[in-house]
Amino acid sequence: MTDLAVELRGVSKKYRYFTLDNMHLELPRGQIMGLIGANGAGKSTTIRILMGLVHQDSGVARVLGRNMPSEQVAAKWDIGFASEDMRLYESMTLGWHMDFIRSIYPTWDGAYAQLLLKRFGLRAEQKIKGLSHGQRVKSALLLVLARKPKLLVLDEPTTGLDPVARHEILRELTNVMADEERSVLFSSHNTQDVEQISDQITFIDRGRIIDSMDKETYLDRWRRLRLEVPRGVELPALPGIIGVQREGRLAVATSNAFAPDLASAYESSGARVQRIENMTLEEIFVANVEHSREEVEA
Amino acid sequence: MNGAVIGHLILKDWRINRLLISLTLGAGIVALAIALYGRGTARLVGSVWFFVALCILGSMLPVSAIINERKKQTLAFIMSLPVSSVQYSIAKIVSIWAMFLVPWLTLLISALILVETGHIAPRGVIPTLVIVAVLPLIGFCLISSAALAGESEGWLIAASVACNSSYWLAWYLLASLPSLTENWTAPAAVWNPAAVTILLGEFGSIALILALTLFIQSRKRDFI
Amino acid sequence: MYLQIMERIKQRIAAGNWVDGQPIPSIRQLAVDLQVSVITVKRAYYELEREGVIITQPGKGSRVSSTPGLGARLREQELRAHLEQAARIAAEMGIPLDELEDRLRQAGDRVAQKEEELI
Repeated sequence: MTDLAVELRGVSKKYRYFTLDNMHLELPRGQIMGLIGANGAGKSTTIRILMGLVHQDSGVARVLGRNMPSEQVAAKWDIGFASEDMRLYESMTLGWHMDFIRSIYPTWDGAYAQLLLKRFGLRAEQKIKGLSHGQRVKSALLLVLARKPKLLVLDEPTTGLDPVARHEILRELTNVMADEERSVLFSSHNTQDVEQISDQITFIDRGRIIDSMDKETYLDRWRRLRLEVPRGVELPALPGIIGVQREGRLAVATSNAFAPDLASAYESSGARVQRIENMTLEEIFVANVEHSREEVEA
Repeated sequence: MNGAVIGHLILKDWRINRLLISLTLGAGIVALAIALYGRGTARLVGSVWFFVALCILGSMLPVSAIINERKKQTLAFIMSLPVSSVQYSIAKIVSIWAMFLVPWLTLLISALILVETGHIAPRGVIPTLVIVAVLPLIGFCLISSAALAGESEGWLIAASVACNSSYWLAWYLLASLPSLTENWTAPAAVWNPAAVTILLGEFGSIALILALTLFIQSRKRDFI
Repeated sequence: MYLQIMERIKQRIAAGNWVDGQPIPSIRQLAVDLQVSVITVKRAYYELEREGVIITQPGKGSRVSSTPGLGARLREQELRAHLEQAARIAAEMGIPLDELEDRLRQAGDRVAQKEEELI
């Protein structure tokens, strides 16, 4: 039995206008991974490859120790999947869907399902077509959560939800964490959610993985240095600084590999370091994407 | 091992298309009743009306069960269940064939009853009748398989057009076979080698189309 | 993010909610309670252990360090950090230290006044 819940090695997939290129990814069991990327970056395609819904052109995809797509049937017994473009049957009730899933999966927890109905504010007798967007998303998540699968694969689970619904979902996802045998992989372009609950973060942009590592280490590497640059002083180009923005006498340097000697290097060049700030994941996201696109174009 | 899940998918299709299926069943029972107890022109009219209803349902069912699954995006929900693309296809084929066989068998039985008891034609026409009745079955097979494997309405439309415009050609060819027509006036059904061969050929082509469909489904690399 | 968690834990100890030697929730349990990632809590616990605030024993979980006066020591650290912050801002604004002293006295008076109003 493998220690990794999800594993991608050298996975590539070519479409007419878009290519997923040489993806490497690892999610250890018992952890939560957040996939961040702009729209069209390749998050959904990556997730579909993980679920065996799309066959990769090359590379190995392994989920819960099983090769995808060849062992997808066996794997899907233990995976709960929900995606933003997935729909339930409009003419049927939520209760019917719950019975349907319950008849297939032996791990269905009826008591937990009832609890989720209450927490999410849903009623089983309601037909899907009468539900709002947020309620539909919550319904799909309920169907997947109540089964208590070993791995949850969620494509944009909180997108388009109001703050209350988002909070409800995040709460359930963190409850999943209480069981160290269960893992979650979710994609989002809501950096706040990812920052809050992820153990591992993976950045995808234009079909490539830019960064993939544990969250705290990652956040720790990034800093904003606010500098005061007196006239006549040239700011040196330093390794680990990926961008500098100038506004008259002030400058903001962004670093993705911070070490204290960066600050001293600036000081010795004549600039004064006013403040060194941590960055939120959102700021890192934007800086990272801009930087990687510059690199590609260079 | 996965028979249970396939079974659930079939039941699911029947549950969701409950309305359409009951309408079909209802129409079938009415037609059967007309065939058994009707008199004169009412009998013939009822049967013709039923044949028309059958053609309409024949094209609606594949749409509802197959195309909508893709269009309404419930396919992702189903494929998140522990099934492969081939298993899904098998479940789909079984469920819609079961749906279609209800009206089709009713039609065939009604027609046979009409011949037996209605004296509208000598029993010698029975082999040809059966052969002609299997034609829409082949048509249904082609149309529904095109919808399943082709993934778009374009394929469905192309197959429908191809079939519906080929029926007259098939009838013409059959009517020009002396080995069939010579027995039309016979008082009893004559299953000569020609009739048997043609019938076997029809079932053979159905099997071939289904096998090809499953093969295509198994080779798809971007199922959703 | 782990810094925030560390702060919250230190506050609880300083306020006396968590006393010396008291067992604290496991990493996973706290993560679920606070709705943050396990790795954040893990990092926070690691740093707190390095600072001697908590002790983790393999197989037995974690507890507040039983050094006497831990709560007071954390309070002390908090006060020092605030004072240094005030000194830094004053320096940036160009306020001399004896003016800062006066300001501190005034602030102390204001706090005492508010306490009286509450009683």
